[in-house]
Amino acid sequence: MVYKIIRLTDLNLEDNRFHFTLNPSDRRLLRSVSEIGVMQPVIVILRQNRPVLIDGWRRVEAARSCGLEQLPVLEIAEKTDDLAVFLLAFFENYGQRPFSLAEKSLAIRKFHDFELHPAEIIGRILPLLELPPERWMFELMLEVSQLEKRFLETIHHRDWKPVAVELLMKFTPAERDWLFSLLEKLTHGQQREVMERLYSLKRKTGKSLDQLAREERLAGLIARVLKGERAAVDDLLTVLRRVSSPLISRLNQAIAEEIRQIGLPERVRLDYDPSLEKRVLRLTLEAAEQGDLKRAVDSLADSLERGYWKRLFQLLGYEGE
Amino acid sequence: MVELRIKKVWVDRKVEADDFTRQLLDRLAGRPVEVVDSAEPVRETVRLSSDPVGESKQHLFITAQPSFIRPCPCTPGCLGCGYWTIDLDLNCPFDCSYCILQDYLGLQPLTVAVNREQLRGELEEFIRQGRSGLIRLGTGELADSLALDGLTQNSAFLMDIFRGREKLWLELKSKSGWTQSLRLLAPAENVVLAWSLNPQVVIDYEEKGTASLEERLQAAAEAVRQGHRVGFHFDPIIHYQGWREDYAQVVESIFRRIPLEAIAWVSLGSLRFPPGLLSLARRRFPESQIYEHEFIRSAEGKYRYPRPLRQWLYKEMAGMFAEFGAEGRLYLCMESVEVWQEFLDKIKRGRRNFAFPFPWQC
Ligand code: SF4
Repeated sequence: MVYKIIRLTDLNLEDNRFHFTLNPSDRRLLRSVSEIGVMQPVIVILRQNRPVLIDGWRRVEAARSCGLEQLPVLEIAEKTDDLAVFLLAFFENYGQRPFSLAEKSLAIRKFHDFELHPAEIIGRILPLLELPPERWMFELMLEVSQLEKRFLETIHHRDWKPVAVELLMKFTPAERDWLFSLLEKLTHGQQREVMERLYSLKRKTGKSLDQLAREERLAGLIARVLKGERAAVDDLLTVLRRVSSPLISRLNQAIAEEIRQIGLPERVRLDYDPSLEKRVLRLTLEAAEQGDLKRAVDSLADSLERGYWKRLFQLLGYEGE
Repeated sequence: MVELRIKKVWVDRKVEADDFTRQLLDRLAGRPVEVVDSAEPVRETVRLSSDPVGESKQHLFITAQPSFIRPCPCTPGCLGCGYWTIDLDLNCPFDCSYCILQDYLGLQPLTVAVNREQLRGELEEFIRQGRSGLIRLGTGELADSLALDGLTQNSAFLMDIFRGREKLWLELKSKSGWTQSLRLLAPAENVVLAWSLNPQVVIDYEEKGTASLEERLQAAAEAVRQGHRVGFHFDPIIHYQGWREDYAQVVESIFRRIPLEAIAWVSLGSLRFPPGLLSLARRRFPESQIYEHEFIRSAEGKYRYPRPLRQWLYKEMAGMFAEFGAEGRLYLCMESVEVWQEFLDKIKRGRRNFAFPFPWQC
């Protein structure tokens, strides 16, 4: 490895064969570079007589933004083959921070393109990346690496996990495009839930995402979410939950209506398990004096006589489809 | 039922010279064989396949197990039925879409333990520990009890060591049909040959490679003719449109062939699975619809049908069995105390015995 100072313009930045990281330069790095320049050399190798960057993309970007003309580099021997060079780029970054799933996919793609044997990638690289060392994961990552940049950036910035990415890849490319415009409006947790519910619905009904999105129960809500209406996101989730959980939703609605009819006395709280696994009610009553207690008990006794509680218990103990 | 398909046999070096290993290799003649130090090289091969779980079912690993008898783990929060498992084989050549072994075994190949003689001693020790009452043990938890029986003849071996041990009941649970090895078995009072049943439409879509319903029922009838006790498992019951009619037909066809007295027990359980199985099974069985049903996440994290539906499935099933006077043979598998209680109150008219339902214990 040779230490050199080169002109920034000599770098062939078009050639990004070794680039797999996605973090853009941050403000702190920019400040530091504008104050003292780039102190830590970036790593390069000569390809077709021009230095190609192996590691140091953020520093180079910062140097360019700050208008620096020169850059310290460590130059690797030209005869080193691309795979060996990429291994260096990979491990140089590996120790510094955990990679996002998007970066992992790009790294796997590079190993694949540099002809590291799939068995090596599966058996050696995937475990390093904390991914299951199985072929399907390798194939999934290769597929993910070819997503458009904006998809990769969302996966990167929102720290998507493999299950979410696998789910995304189950949609057709056209569906993914549409889905992404929707997902962009959601929080991380909501993204996964919406994808899961839409995917399940798609499988269950055999309809395309486009057909589902045009259904009356979803179309209006989706349009509002796409317009950026935050409140519509919760409504959309409620409808999707109701669609994928019809029995429990129906029973919970009926239970809520019964509770409303009962008209619980003040300071009496009623809790139950909304999943309906447990069929018991829990009543909590707060009383500061005997009169409070009497009023609450009388009111409950009165509602008991009117039969609402019986219906409530029937709903809690419901058996059926 | 499809033929056993084994691409390669892997022999654990520590059992290479074992007599039983030699016998197995003779029976598997013609397949490539490799001697290895552990199951790891097999897993390494298997994981290179696009369908590693499917691939794991086509590699046979001959080894020795440190021990065989374990309490059936059931599920936290559920009422256990006091079952014990004997893990002679691991993994299964059949390929059910709902099989939790896909997730649970972590690419363990089909595994046969050749040190089965050790089970005799373990069983003696098990008895010496002085457990009370009747105890059920079975080989059908981490494998199908009969799927590899043509190769191992474990059923004959197990029958032999259980025969005459009145307090210990052995169950061989399977989705296979009548096998050559069964033909040779002399019945024993405390051995139950059990078949897991589902309507043929479920078998077609969700139980790849297994025997048809007809084959399983014929096998059970043949077992009864030969003097064996039989058992049945409706687990998992799958809920779909028209399920009731289909299951009623299955129940009816049991009693068309099998006298009630020959049936030791019938278990009921509904579809449930750990979260890890969801993406795996969707990947492996893109056509299957069973994972798109309504589920709740139970306290222990598993997906299950909602309690109102489960309870209804059990009640309806119990009604079907009641028509043949067989409701007393039923018990629930991996269910909460709450569901059990309802079941016993309604179906068994207040019977409070939570132990498994040997009819003569009621
Ligand atoms: S027969 Fe049993 S062990 Fe075999 S795949 Fe089916 S569920 Fe799993």
